[in-house]
Amino acid sequence: MIDDTLMSPDALVEFAEGLAKIASSGGGPKALATHLAAALDAAVLVEDGDWRHVALAGTGTRSVPPSIRDLVASARPSSDGVVHIELPGETLDALAIRIRGGDSPLGWLSIFSNGERLEARIGAVRLAAAAIAVELSRDAGGGKNRRRSFWDRLLGRAYDDPIEAKDDAASRGIALASGYVAVALEAEGLEETSAATKVGDLRRIALETLRSGSGEIVVLERGGGFVFLCPAPLEVDAQNVRTAATLIPRAAAKVHFGAKVVGGVGRAAVAIEAYKTVDEARESMFIARRLFGGSRVMPYDDLGIYPLLLRGGATAEELRAFGQRVLAPLRKYDEKHQTELVRTLRLYFDVGQNVKTAAAELSVHRHTVFYRLRQIAEISGHDLDSAHDQLTLRTAIAIDALNPN
Amino acid sequence: MLSIQTNGERKTLSKRDVLKVAKERDVRYVRLSFVDILGIGKNVTIPVSELESALEGKVSFDGGSIDGFVRGEEADMMLVPDLSTFAVYPWTLGSGNVEARIICDIATPDGEAFEGCPRTTLRRALEDARDVLTGVRAGLEVEFYLFELAADGAPTVQTSDVGSYFDSDESDSGEVARLDIATTLEAMGLSVASAHHEHGAGQHEVDLNETPILTTADALITTRIVAKHVAARHHLHATFMPKPLETCAGSGVHIYFTTAPAGELAEETLFAIGGLLEHAPAFTAVCNPTVNSYKRLVAAWDAPIYTAWSYRSANALVRVPSPQGGLQRIEVRSADASCNPYLAMAVLVASIAHGIRNHLLPGDPLIGSTYDLNDRERDARRIRMLPKSLRQALAELEKDAVVRGALGDHVYQAFRDAKFAEYERYRRAVHPWEREAYLRIY
Repeated sequence: MIDDTLMSPDALVEFAEGLAKIASSGGGPKALATHLAAALDAAVLVEDGDWRHVALAGTGTRSVPPSIRDLVASARPSSDGVVHIELPGETLDALAIRIRGGDSPLGWLSIFSNGERLEARIGAVRLAAAAIAVELSRDAGGGKNRRRSFWDRLLGRAYDDPIEAKDDAASRGIALASGYVAVALEAEGLEETSAATKVGDLRRIALETLRSGSGEIVVLERGGGFVFLCPAPLEVDAQNVRTAATLIPRAAAKVHFGAKVVGGVGRAAVAIEAYKTVDEARESMFIARRLFGGSRVMPYDDLGIYPLLLRGGATAEELRAFGQRVLAPLRKYDEKHQTELVRTLRLYFDVGQNVKTAAAELSVHRHTVFYRLRQIAEISGHDLDSAHDQLTLRTAIAIDALNPN
Repeated sequence: MLSIQTNGERKTLSKRDVLKVAKERDVRYVRLSFVDILGIGKNVTIPVSELESALEGKVSFDGGSIDGFVRGEEADMMLVPDLSTFAVYPWTLGSGNVEARIICDIATPDGEAFEGCPRTTLRRALEDARDVLTGVRAGLEVEFYLFELAADGAPTVQTSDVGSYFDSDESDSGEVARLDIATTLEAMGLSVASAHHEHGAGQHEVDLNETPILTTADALITTRIVAKHVAARHHLHATFMPKPLETCAGSGVHIYFTTAPAGELAEETLFAIGGLLEHAPAFTAVCNPTVNSYKRLVAAWDAPIYTAWSYRSANALVRVPSPQGGLQRIEVRSADASCNPYLAMAVLVASIAHGIRNHLLPGDPLIGSTYDLNDRERDARRIRMLPKSLRQALAELEKDAVVRGALGDHVYQAFRDAKFAEYERYRRAVHPWEREAYLRIY
């Protein structure tokens, strides 16, 4: 809170810098209203030009009307455009100011004091109104833009609170899922003359293949391709998005798409961390293109050690987490069924993948080793005949050996 | 060779072919067979002198006395023989009264296919699915018990057999009977893949290779008839009752559908599994249609109880076994042989077709036993429990338009009414367990 009755120039600059920081990090009207409410120790209400609720902040114990529509209509504006609001049965100060984008009215910003006089701080209110105007004008291009700006903010890491994100989404007509999986896709080798049409075709093919019973798929244009943000409230939804995404190149081939389709699939992330799955999807697409070739969509989960290698500088903690994640299904199975799958895998690699020697070391018949290797492949999801998967498993075993705890 | 049908594959036959074979085999009687809505075998026996007339579809019967067939004054029904199903009953050879059977569709007197005919219901379901399912075939693993007969010839639940899975005891009369059953099925033109002892003492299994789906449904009817006849000749009783003994494994029918060429799991196969899992709670009423069926569907003896799929788990509802004959297969493990196989196949085909049309994905395959799943794991995978009773199953069926649609209004209503009545009779009955549990203490 700014404790000076009249805000000093320094305090005002500090306040403006706070607004800029919020806006640049993707914060919307709600975040800006919260900043103003904290600065003035007041409740703040933002409504758009159609008197729809946009944001409410700093209410504390202060009661605030759901809308100032009727109050503004009966009030007389002052020459500086500030409307003093009289609340029935209250003596505390309240005022409203029109939010404008140039000459266009975009909404109203109302401040409800908790005791301090607001008139003395009108500078801060005007600055906040200007910042909110930028946000509302971004939304004012119609429903599509309002929705688009939400996803931009979400992926810009603007929300810390899932409820805030959900409320903001709802105010824009978006039913936000609790979790998402991103699929990144690009077409390669397109001829310039047909590129625009082909990209449209790819979008259609992907949407048809990814079609989901769990909600609306968000399509974001990124670079020359797309990121599809698919709702995945449950584990099974994430599994199905991953499977469907890997079918896209086949679906494209079936309709003679005529270009290579490359892509990646991120892991499931909660809504406010959707940026993580998007980053992973794009990373997976990059790795798929560089290492695996062909027309394919690679799930992040199937890339093993490569994402860490791509980042070129994994921390010890990231490496440990990777090792644990790869071996976790085998460990869980071993604990539950009193088996020795992890030990068998380690020995199998230690003896140069010689089943006979591994069997001797383990004091079991070689058929038992074959059986265990089949189990390891099925349970871990890694193909022991694949060089890529072997690298992942070998690395996980090595990390595990180096970090015994 | 006692049948025109060979190795499970049927030939297109003319009436003249059938008459010729009947004469060559010295057939004296022909059973014109069909099933009612509940899948119970019915037949009208005619002397061979009437066969020509019968082959022209001129034999009628009173449908009014058949469960679920007709309402009001629609009583007269016509039997329309499917010539490709003509087969001589091998056990009647040399008896002087050689019998053959021919499976019939039911028609109205004006020649229209009767909407209450289970075989017609399956034909229609296959036709409806033709846009997404072509050339799909089905195979069966049929489990049953062979029990001893009492001195008065009544069936018991006793067996002198102490064998278990894949056991071999050539002195066991059950094993001899099982071999005889398999031989007889082959003699009738069915393609037997294998036969072996099952988990329960006295429990056996006969496996039939994949054939066109209508043929496979016919094969289950034939297997039930043959097993009972052959067992009786060995002084045994063959029962397909899903759960004859509380402490032993129940008897099911595992149905295999061949889908795509072997290799990476084809997307259509995944969608088919998705459709099966989606509609499983509803098709359970049809595939497990008796109150006794639900005593098999418990967490024991690898009976499926959840809508889960797996490559290897023996208690998953749907399993994808290793490809055979260069084809991928999916195995539905919940059904039992008390079902009407035509209706069971119809609802399974409709579920598969719905999955393919709507690209329903089934999630990842389950690793390990489905019995180990906790509530949280099931919720995360959207795995549902199969109905625990016929009453629950009927409620699920009522909610599912796809499965109901596969049955058609007439069959659905007749089936539902019959099964509600069956459940109500069971609910009102006082069972021995209740007397044992309550008679003394209350």
